[in-house]
Amino acid sequence: MKPPPFDYARADSVDEAVSLLAHHRGGAKLLAGGQSLVPMLNFRLLHPALLVDVNRISGLAGIEERNGALRIGALTRHRQIEVSRAVGDHFPVLRTAVRHVAHLAIRNRGTLGGSLAHADPAAELPMMALLLDAKIEISGPNGPRRLEAREFFRSALTTALDDAEMVTGVELPLLPPATGWGFEEVARRAGDFALAAAAATLTLAAGGKVAEARLAIMGAHEFPLRIAAAEARLAGEAPCSGALGAAAKAAREAVEPDDDLHASADLRRHLVEVLARRALESAARRARELAAQVTGGRAP
Amino acid sequence: MTNLRPGLIGARVQRLEDPRLLAGRGCYVDDLRRTGALHVAFCRSDESHARILRIDTSEAARAPGVAAVVTAADLEGACRPLRATSRMPSYQATELPVLAGDKVRYAGEPVAAVLAESRYLAEDAAERVAIDYEPLPAATDPEAALAPDAPRLHEDLASNVIVDREFARGDAEAALAGAAVRVSGCFRMGRKTPAAIENRGYLAEYDEGRRRLTLHSCTQVPGIVRDALAELLDLPGHRLRVVAPDVGGGFGAKVSLYREEVLVSILARRLGRPVKWTSDRREDLMSTTQAFDEVVRAELGVDEDGAILGLRAEIVGDVGAYSVYPWTAAVEPVQVASFLSGPYRVPDYRGRVRAAATPKPPTGAYRGVGRPPAVFAMERLLDMAARRLGMDPRDIRRRNLVRDGEFPYRAPSGLVWDRAAFTGCLERACETIGYDELREMQAAARAEGRRIGIGLASYAELTGVGSRIAVAPGMPINTGTESAAIRIDSTGAVTATFGVSSQGQGIETTLAQVVAEELGARLEDVEIVHGDSAALSHGTGTYASRSAIQAGGAAIVCARSLREKVIEAASHLLESAPADIEVTGGAVSVAGTDRRMSFRELARAVYTEMGRLPREVRERVDLEATGVYDPFWGTTSPATHAALVEVDPETFEVEVLRYVVAEDCGRVINPLIADGQVHGGVAQGIGAALFEEMVHDPSGQLLTASFVDYVVPSAAEIPSMEVEHLETSAENNVGGFRGIGEGGTIGAPAAVANAIADALGVEIEELPATPERLFRLIGPGRRAAGARMETGPGGRGRGNRFTANQTNSGGRSESGSGPTRQSK
Amino acid sequence: MSEQRTIRLTVNGASFEREVEPRRLLADFLREDLGLTGTHIGCEHGVCGACTIILDGDSARSCLTLAVQADGAQVQTVEGLGTVDALHPLQRAFREHHALQCGFCTPGMLMAALDLLRKHPSPTEREIREGLSGNLCRCTGYEHIVRAVRTAAAAGETVGAETETASAAPPREAGAGAQSRGSARE
Ligand SMILES: Cc1cc2nc3c(=O)[nH]c(=O)nc-3n(C[C@H](O)[C@H](O)[C@H](O)COP(=O)(O)OP(=O)(O)OC[C@H]3O[C@@H](n4cnc5c(N)ncnc54)[C@H](O)[C@@H]3O)c2cc1C
Ligand code: FES
Ligand code: FES
Repeated sequence: MKPPPFDYARADSVDEAVSLLAHHRGGAKLLAGGQSLVPMLNFRLLHPALLVDVNRISGLAGIEERNGALRIGALTRHRQIEVSRAVGDHFPVLRTAVRHVAHLAIRNRGTLGGSLAHADPAAELPMMALLLDAKIEISGPNGPRRLEAREFFRSALTTALDDAEMVTGVELPLLPPATGWGFEEVARRAGDFALAAAAATLTLAAGGKVAEARLAIMGAHEFPLRIAAAEARLAGEAPCSGALGAAAKAAREAVEPDDDLHASADLRRHLVEVLARRALESAARRARELAAQVTGGRAP
Repeated sequence: MTNLRPGLIGARVQRLEDPRLLAGRGCYVDDLRRTGALHVAFCRSDESHARILRIDTSEAARAPGVAAVVTAADLEGACRPLRATSRMPSYQATELPVLAGDKVRYAGEPVAAVLAESRYLAEDAAERVAIDYEPLPAATDPEAALAPDAPRLHEDLASNVIVDREFARGDAEAALAGAAVRVSGCFRMGRKTPAAIENRGYLAEYDEGRRRLTLHSCTQVPGIVRDALAELLDLPGHRLRVVAPDVGGGFGAKVSLYREEVLVSILARRLGRPVKWTSDRREDLMSTTQAFDEVVRAELGVDEDGAILGLRAEIVGDVGAYSVYPWTAAVEPVQVASFLSGPYRVPDYRGRVRAAATPKPPTGAYRGVGRPPAVFAMERLLDMAARRLGMDPRDIRRRNLVRDGEFPYRAPSGLVWDRAAFTGCLERACETIGYDELREMQAAARAEGRRIGIGLASYAELTGVGSRIAVAPGMPINTGTESAAIRIDSTGAVTATFGVSSQGQGIETTLAQVVAEELGARLEDVEIVHGDSAALSHGTGTYASRSAIQAGGAAIVCARSLREKVIEAASHLLESAPADIEVTGGAVSVAGTDRRMSFRELARAVYTEMGRLPREVRERVDLEATGVYDPFWGTTSPATHAALVEVDPETFEVEVLRYVVAEDCGRVINPLIADGQVHGGVAQGIGAALFEEMVHDPSGQLLTASFVDYVVPSAAEIPSMEVEHLETSAENNVGGFRGIGEGGTIGAPAAVANAIADALGVEIEELPATPERLFRLIGPGRRAAGARMETGPGGRGRGNRFTANQTNSGGRSESGSGPTRQSK
Repeated sequence: MSEQRTIRLTVNGASFEREVEPRRLLADFLREDLGLTGTHIGCEHGVCGACTIILDGDSARSCLTLAVQADGAQVQTVEGLGTVDALHPLQRAFREHHALQCGFCTPGMLMAALDLLRKHPSPTEREIREGLSGNLCRCTGYEHIVRAVRTAAAAGETVGAETETASAAPPREAGAGAQSRGSARE
């Protein structure tokens, strides 16, 4: 299991990386953390002519709060997201999710951009991008563009990126105060890709009704999904167990899983409902706690 | 922790092999580098059963760095045919070719070998070998493969039935007919692979000048490999040396002779260059011997008090495509039948066992050999019977375990249990885990909707099997004896040489403890040599939990005779009666005096200082001895495992909360190491219970071809464990030792399965108990009553992560570029 | 075959300059080109952890890193931890608790434990088990490994070793936080 031969170039800038990609028209691959790409090379599932190493491009990594959003550079390692104070403060759901990605040694290397571009149907960060309404920043031969996360994932391991484009970062709009969150995952082993997972945020309005609910799932569909029907079902409602349960059912109905080695489509559908319900319940509980803190009173 | 005597045996001595392994200075086969070495990459079959129509190696042969591309045609006459023979009446031996010839019989079978300057270049060239196959019909289901009209895997055999045997005592049918309660099930464990973290690896070098071949192999059995290669290649033993250096785990995976071992040996001799092959993980998953793949249909009958009346079983082993050398493909299924009755009084028994050749990788002797599936079936049946009777699982075991006054007990298959702590282990395990309190806790938890279960599993195994019984019945090799040679050289250093070898069991320490104690040496002065076929005339290796018993026994016998020589020499040198000589702490002394000589001084006097000893003494008293030990019978090692689990009834995740083992390994040589053996075994057993499963699709393709899909548990899935040793002295062997290496894996699948069944109130008949299986059993995925769940995925599966069958639908895809299969 | 590249890097404190093919895995480079065979290979797809090393201060899979990527890097392997005669405190804890049997997973396990203890100097049992979940051991059942890591954590000596190595191996990459390890600790 040794990689096939390829050429190697180290890009010093995004422009250089993009022009190398453009020049090789599909024969070149970006190399970021290498935690998904190198295994595929070792299995000889890919035979690229050129690898373009983006690890030394300055300014491509980092987490920064600006204009009501958190911007995370494409080369930011999973581990940096995990320990970032800003992420912990603004997006505890993201911090929790990223801890479910693989293992320490892999999180030390794997990058946000690599994870989004690789688009494994059971990868946490694509689901988080979707849940958190990320704007994905892309650079290509025709300059930069931005895509909503929901336009980015096309099918398993397939994105809206063109052959010569790269992800440079994402922008996550900050969540309103009194937003609770929940994250639930089932995997065979610690650090494995999930059989299924669900994540939710829930923002309460003054009266204890849901101002906004978001629910995303992964592992049970070709790509991560936002469950619009569930979100609509909850908006304006009190987050009681009946409503949350109904929203979770909506998630189950929205997904189209496949059978695979580790779980049947039936099990995945079932897990989606269970995990969606649990994630929503946690989100509702946290939202109530936050609301209580804000009002200084007791949870509604 | 050094020279305290008495008591080296039994002391928590830190291991002597550790410093080099911890500092990264161990030396495994793949660490050996030889200038001019050629590296092998195999082209392996991607068909499970097919005729090979054409192999085109021309392009590969021209690829950069390639020295040779070899196929079966190139090996004709290169060695004698390899067959694992046996005297079992119904047994049919298969021929194991070095490379597949006209047919392939499993996906992963080696068809061609590329030899190149590096593994990278060898793999490049292997991608260019073109092989045309004509697929043949394949019976991948073992029961289907038994049918007379099933597609025949080996044309030269009468059928796919490798062996067909029956064990019987009394009248099982009549006993069952008269039973108050009868329970039955069709028990099946997933096909398992040992998955040592070190993949297999071999390096052969040929010294043309001396016409001497050396094979460095990660084998557990250098002696067996040497003897077999000597036959195959027609070389005398002194021109053929097999060395097992540090070996990264074996568990049975490395006890068979592999075709890759034969191939590198042939080619090193032919090409006159060192030839090296290191398996990668994918190859390991496709080609290393697998295990536990039996279908056990069994029925148990008990009276109204839970006493066992009769047991009946039909066992079909899915043994894969070839009968492995030397153990044969019968070794595992036959042991399922012979051990099925467990540590219990079973008056009437009938067990029929058939082994079916299937187009899958060969099975072999993996940790526990047949006993894990046997114990799984029997322990489940006992719990099923207890449930029907409203009896506690502990009580039904108390009722049926062979009791202290009943030893030696002859089990219905003819195995004989010597006196060991059968009931003692049960009681100790229950005490340690707090069985009664747990039952109360369980009831309280259940009231809160939590699903907690307690599972027990008792078993007995036969370890250190002597020459009276064969490890694998009818095999033409001697597994009963082991030898040792111990010498004090002219510097006074003690070197003890053994035919066993280590794959992590710590024998450099435990055997040094035995030798030091018996000889009167200091631990740090004893060097253990093992794993080298040239070091002794005969020895087989490490397997079947025999090293402590056989090699430990040989160490004792041998050290005692050397001690006699030491005493004789010392009595001359110290001018004292032999009876007054004491040997301790690496020195000899005269009791009650200050006359004393260190081993170094003694050795100088014996070997170097002429005239210190009379001539006839010098000729007789060399400071070395050899010894052979044969325990003749086997030694019984019983245990009870107790597991506490919690099942999430919505996600079907199982967490093992506590795990206790009470076992009787006789006299413990080193408690630290004994605990470690149990822990490791249990972890592999929990793997079998919850995670590990080789899945082949109906056409025989392996779906679990990576460590992503073949799920080996990590520290996060394995619970903390408590181990209790009951030390019933084993009177039938010189050291009083019982084997301990395999037990953990034998008990754990059954204990965990019983705990899950207890938590959920259902019967578990298939392992691993994955979320998918539990979903089918208790969740909304439950199918019509009685429907069996197929192993693995149903139908239209999206591929596993490292197979290339994902499809593109526009946009950029991760699996788009380049060819993906090495041969078409 | 693609063109060879020259790489310069520091391994266990010593500098090396070598020519490598771009596709050469760091694991093979360490083992074969530098003869540092303490780093083992068990799967070459990132799951087993046997090949774990410290790359610029953080644990990494040497089977998923190209040698060319380590150009300019500081690498620490098990050989840089302690010697046969002077084991590192973590290695001593492994020996004391019998946390290794065949020793094949051990170098990777040690490097993973080292990184874990640097990042979590006093981990709970759960944190140890999850922190080491990327390293498979087939022999020990992990029990003794967990105990050894707990002992090493309690002794605190390993964390001392961190400051040493960390200051000896500052992140080198150009660019603000291209690999900003410093900020990667809370
Ligand atoms: C054992 C193991 C377990 C894992 N478990 C999980 C898990 O549970 N959950 C999970 O989410 N992931 C898991 N991963 C994957 C890991 O998170 C990867 O790091 C991640 O998916 C890819 O990131 P990378 O930076 O390593 O990308 P690389 O491997 O470098 O690249 C992946 C792909 O993305 C492309 N790419 C990289 N960067 C960019 C960019 N900026 N723009 C456009 N294309 C780019 C590459 O060309 C390549 O095609 C696991 C990996 C391993 C080895
Ligand atoms: S060899 Fe690198 S993780 Fe297994
Ligand atoms: S000690 Fe053998 S794999 Fe861990």
